[in-house]
Amino acid sequence: MSSGCDHAIEYVYQYLDEEASFFAKSRIRVHLRRCPPCMDAFEFERHLKVVISERGKSEPPPELFDTLRALIQEEREKNELGM
Amino acid sequence: MQYAPQLYSAALRMTRNPADAEDVVQETFLKAYRAYDSYTEGTNLKAWLYRILTNTYINKYRKQQRRPSEVELGELQDLYLYKRLGEASGATQSAETDMLDAFVDTDIIEALESLPETFRLPVLLADVDGFSYKEIAEMLDIPIGTVMSRLHRGRKALQKKLWDVAQEHGITGTPNE
Repeated sequence: MSSGCDHAIEYVYQYLDEEASFFAKSRIRVHLRRCPPCMDAFEFERHLKVVISERGKSEPPPELFDTLRALIQEEREKNELGM
Repeated sequence: MQYAPQLYSAALRMTRNPADAEDVVQETFLKAYRAYDSYTEGTNLKAWLYRILTNTYINKYRKQQRRPSEVELGELQDLYLYKRLGEASGATQSAETDMLDAFVDTDIIEALESLPETFRLPVLLADVDGFSYKEIAEMLDIPIGTVMSRLHRGRKALQKKLWDVAQEHGITGTPNE
């Protein structure tokens, strides 16, 4: 573990979230090219983010759309009647 | 309507209950319809809707819960899951990343829903819905620094839970000792 490793791991999420500063990003990129263990860890964290995003979602019940449409329609009619 | 499925999914992760999730989404759409004048054309509609959703959830459900204490998550190691999976798989290069494919939807959902609310919301908004720190700060009405620290701790807790799930489901290939 070098100070480059410490820096890279400290900023891993900011880097992957595309929130790291330009300076931090460049420093990390240079480090990753030279440090396979950190590159491996970054690839893992990047993949984990994709897994969470893809598999952390649920489908709505099919009738939700009808319910929402009816709700908005009702609201619109109320407005038109000046209620 | 195009954002209804995403909003429902987010509401379900927040409330952890399909009936409550539907209530929150309905209320969100109604509020969005009524407040549409305050939406600035050309700005991010999805973020605007999520802000209403998050506020609706917080106002409706937070008061029912005991005050969310800054739950002590303990000091977990950085790269917690990566390191645990690495130990379990031995020295094989990149085996940890391959092991992630063994997690199924219900594993990820269980882990997300296990997080205390204070950490669950930022993690959901960042990792599932891909919002920026600034957008999350606006939605939750907290400073960006707080978003970052909650995300940091929340993600560690999520990784710990995923490790627990991996062990329970035998994903690690080694029986629980």
